[in-house]
Amino acid sequence: MHERVIVLVEDNANDEELTLRAFRKSNILNRVVVVRDGAEALDYFFLRGAHAGRSPGEIAQVVLLDLKLPKIDGLDVLRALRADERTRLIPIVILTSSAEDQDLMRGYGLGANSYVRKPVDFNQFVDAVRQLGLYWLVINQAAPV
Amino acid sequence: MADDGTSTALVKRLRDGLRLVSTVAQSFAETTSDYRRLLDVIARNIAEAIPDTCIVLLRSGEMLNIVAIHDGTPSAGPRVRRTTRGGTPVREATISADVLANGPLFMPRIDYARLRTQMIAESVDQLEASQTTGMLVVPLGARGELHGVVWVLRHGTQHPPLDELDLEIVRDLANHAALAISNARLFSDLQRSEQLRAAEERAVQASRLVDAIIENIPDMVFVKDADKLAFVRLNRAGEDLLGLSRDQLIGKTDFDFFPASEAEFFVAKDRETLASTVVVDIAEEPIHTPRGTRWLHTKKVPLLDATGRPAYLLGISHDITERKQAIADLSAAKAATDDANRELESFSYSVAHDLRTPLRAIDGFSLALVEDYGDRLDVEGQRYLARIRDAAQRMAELIDDLLTLSRVTRSELRRERVDLSALAHTVLGALQRLEPERRVEIVIAPGLHAHADPQLAAIALDNLLGNAWKFTSRRADARIELGRLPGDAATTYFVRDNGAGFDMTYGDKLFGVFQRLHPETEFPGTGIGLATVARITQRHRGRIWADGRPGAGATFYFTLMESHA
Repeated sequence: MHERVIVLVEDNANDEELTLRAFRKSNILNRVVVVRDGAEALDYFFLRGAHAGRSPGEIAQVVLLDLKLPKIDGLDVLRALRADERTRLIPIVILTSSAEDQDLMRGYGLGANSYVRKPVDFNQFVDAVRQLGLYWLVINQAAPV
Repeated sequence: MADDGTSTALVKRLRDGLRLVSTVAQSFAETTSDYRRLLDVIARNIAEAIPDTCIVLLRSGEMLNIVAIHDGTPSAGPRVRRTTRGGTPVREATISADVLANGPLFMPRIDYARLRTQMIAESVDQLEASQTTGMLVVPLGARGELHGVVWVLRHGTQHPPLDELDLEIVRDLANHAALAISNARLFSDLQRSEQLRAAEERAVQASRLVDAIIENIPDMVFVKDADKLAFVRLNRAGEDLLGLSRDQLIGKTDFDFFPASEAEFFVAKDRETLASTVVVDIAEEPIHTPRGTRWLHTKKVPLLDATGRPAYLLGISHDITERKQAIADLSAAKAATDDANRELESFSYSVAHDLRTPLRAIDGFSLALVEDYGDRLDVEGQRYLARIRDAAQRMAELIDDLLTLSRVTRSELRRERVDLSALAHTVLGALQRLEPERRVEIVIAPGLHAHADPQLAAIALDNLLGNAWKFTSRRADARIELGRLPGDAATTYFVRDNGAGFDMTYGDKLFGVFQRLHPETEFPGTGIGLATVARITQRHRGRIWADGRPGAGATFYFTLMESHA
């Protein structure tokens, strides 16, 4: 049996909590798996380390990926996921504070599906998360597993 | 009465002879250098007076050259073969040589048999062949110099034989002629030596000028001989540079003064120059001097002799030590600037990321407090939270504006054709959508184009039109205009509004970062926008300036090109 989850790669506790709150407020009820650095993210996807025992039936419906991460940064995580047969089709949304052109270009260049800048205004943030959830969890037809 | 007839003829000959001598003497007195023409005249006169053949030969070194030849009896036909035109050497046992050595030869009747015993056959044969019966040969001598000989020849028996009177007249004329030749030669020698002296003087002056030029050239100039590469010349700049006097240097080679590796390099380049026979350019070479190592830009030139072989090597060295140092300093400064820029870039990146994150928490949790615990807060408490959120959002704007300013400063400028009119419509359209209730008269001149960076131009218009939109917010008859001034070399664009305006007293503060002329409560803003626009015009080598009055609107003028006006 497959379970469709949202994977949030985020090292900042405040942002994590606010993002989860935004999901709740948007009535997105999927389980959210939170990983807190780039290395852990890769462990999760490739069932290694602390995540070696997780259920292989957990399917990431969408990954929300921050760029600035401890150990392995977001772009390297993205590169690794796109390079692996098992993860190359997972929808990945870059969710970050940076609006630098070069981050955008690199992100799309490495195969990000979407790039969203986290707004400071929480209402706008909730809006953004709602639209994201609506699109990636409801409208978008994911590649068959 | 035969005696009387003879006397009369004799008197006539004497008179003719005297006249001839006096004419010739006078002519010679008047002449200075053109004695050859006069010798010709003499030869003709003698030939006519005798009347028979007269030949004048002039000596030039060991050669005798015929300079005049006249036949008194042309009807008799050519009796003197003119094969000697090119000159004959003065040889022993020729008649001319004999006369030059021993004085006049006078033979009224030539005894060929006897003559052959005295002279070489060749010259005698010639005489006999031309049926010469008598001859008279006198030297042209004066002041101990022998210039040549005068021959008078009698042919056949048609005329009486040559006599003593003929000898006297010819000798007299020869003496005059010789004197004239001596004078002329003296004069010409004098003239030549005068010319020589003047030429020498000119040469000395020319050489002095060349010396002065070489001496005063502010670069080192040196000359080496092509063979041993020993110095033969060095100018003052060279002495100063090397710290050596030319007396110390001349005659020596590079190995006597410079470290072996340097000397070997110099000599190798010298040899290369001489072998290639073209100029060799050495962009930089180090040289050991009392002031430490100096860097030279040297050109080496082969100086060729008349046969095209290199005889000397000319070197011209420009001291580039300071310039090289300046270039090194400049590239160090550039490296430092690049470092600083990279640092700024990573700083800006951190600002974007790290400062915004806590702001988001402040805003987000304030809102969470309102949403989840609003019922336990009174109105004042709710207002405080609203102010916290306002402040957080305002700080986010500030950060974004500062980031834009820094991006505007460091991004690469890429000019292309930008449609400013279309851009303005887009910007104002967006503003209108944000505040659909506002009624603003918008006047955008059609077809405004600029050769500018499209992104930066968009940021500039965004700020200028955004300001105009903001500062006209309190007017019911708001009007915003974008146009260009007519007839300017560098196109001047302007954004004009009829909004709040400003006091020109503070006009210079308009374009500074964080400078605001209106209270935040009246018109919100970060005070970074116009600084950003000013930076954008600067990056385009353009200018920005403004004109305004409180309550009467403002006009911002800007150019996006260098103005040469």
